[in-house]
Amino acid sequence: MQPLANITPLKPAGAIEVRNVGQIFRTTTQDVVALEDVSFDVKPGRFVVLVGPSGCGKSTLLMMMAGLRQQTSGTITISGAPIPEPDPNRVGVVFQEASLFPWLTAEENVEFPLALRRVARNERRAKARDALKLVGLDGFGKRHPHELSGGMKQRVSIARGLVQDPPVLLMDEPFAALDEQTRMTMGDELLRIWAATGKTVVFVTHSLTEAVYLADEVIVMSPRPGRIVDHLQVSLPRPRTYEMLSGDAFGSLRDRIWRHIRKSA
Amino acid sequence: MTAATLRRLIVIGLIALWEILPRTGFIPELFLPSLSSTLAAGWNEGSEYGHALAVTLYEVAISMAFACGGGILLGAIVGSLPRPRILIMPMVSSLYAVPLVILYPVFTVWLGIGSESKIAFASIYGFLPTMLATAAGIQTIDPQLLLAARSMGATLSQRLVRVIIPAAIPTVLSGLRVGGALVIVGVVVSEMLISSAGIGYLISRYRTILDSPHVFAGVLLVLAMAIAFNAVIKWIERKAAIWQTGSRAGQRAADEITAGAIQPAT
Repeated sequence: MQPLANITPLKPAGAIEVRNVGQIFRTTTQDVVALEDVSFDVKPGRFVVLVGPSGCGKSTLLMMMAGLRQQTSGTITISGAPIPEPDPNRVGVVFQEASLFPWLTAEENVEFPLALRRVARNERRAKARDALKLVGLDGFGKRHPHELSGGMKQRVSIARGLVQDPPVLLMDEPFAALDEQTRMTMGDELLRIWAATGKTVVFVTHSLTEAVYLADEVIVMSPRPGRIVDHLQVSLPRPRTYEMLSGDAFGSLRDRIWRHIRKSA
Repeated sequence: MTAATLRRLIVIGLIALWEILPRTGFIPELFLPSLSSTLAAGWNEGSEYGHALAVTLYEVAISMAFACGGGILLGAIVGSLPRPRILIMPMVSSLYAVPLVILYPVFTVWLGIGSESKIAFASIYGFLPTMLATAAGIQTIDPQLLLAARSMGATLSQRLVRVIIPAAIPTVLSGLRVGGALVIVGVVVSEMLISSAGIGYLISRYRTILDSPHVFAGVLLVLAMAIAFNAVIKWIERKAAIWQTGSRAGQRAADEITAGAIQPAT
């Protein structure tokens, strides 16, 4: 019998398909429709940003793509297969708070998902080192999270998401807690890592500027019940530069998103 | 001068005063025997004090095992499962306001005036803060950490061993500090009330015959015991220094407990 991992997926690795997905939160008093009939495709290697007002269900959508929550209706497939539970070999997740374990060093944090699978210590070390090097934290492996800055913590968190080399990286407002300068730097860093690894990235944010600056495509969502109101292509050349922020192309894209959000606010 | 040296100077000063004030007759020896006469009294009755110390330490050790083991176990259950929490927590909290020492006479009726009644009393006395701290420690674990662990494919048992336990350790330790101290109090107090052995018993007996040096020798031993216990806890805390910086929520809960926000009735 063939091991499961060798079965060729129907879709290429890293493709994401979201079909008619709905989510209803049932409370004792009423049912709240959080998401309604959401459908979109992400091609492998694309950088897609989900943007929308608070409570539009964009984080919920991300949690479902990570297998951390099941949708009430519709289907989600990652690389052609549904994701009934979290699988760090297929999907890496980065959260808003870096969510690092404070009692572990940076290196041990990155090794954590490997340790869960009882990967041999040497292999774990080597992979964690590589991942930390990729995110620009070579030499910081022995530090504990409280000895790292906010930006460095998020780098460790990204390294942890990438350590098992999943084709998809999901990011839930990863830079929201950072100050403006760090946020800009981390955006550039993320684009560098993305270009170096070719991952499919789905990135949730509140910030319109961040959305346009990072994305190949921006998906705009309406407030509850969350629906897709626009799906736009960002055709700005790469690498993105700081100067583009003040350009006309950038401005008109940001305005277009803003009009959707203002209408629904 | 650093705070540490100042602290040491104060302690040395107090010890010196303890010797000087009674010797100069400023305080009558009946109220406060000098340090040297206290030490001499203890030394002369060395075997009696040694025997009493052995009894007390035995009772403390057993009670500590019950209080800490039971407190951590039940605290973990109550902290992680909402149903037992709703059932038990209100009872425990009200029990905490009751001066538990009123139970001691009942225990002597049930268990006699030997070690058993002291162990029962001190165990319950130290059990409550340990349990409450453990429950608080587990309840205040950052849910983001558990979500992150789940996103990496951690099973329930892996989450328990690799996330919940290490994240709860700082709060549990501060609970142990309070709980352990109360165990010592519980044992000594119950020995002083109704008993036939132990340091508390010696203190109480020498007090009735107004033999102050012997009373204070006993007091010194209890003091030494408390200091030794504190040193052990500090050592464990240093071992777990990294965990101490653990979850912020856990640290906050730990601070509350050490700051005395959760205090037992006596």
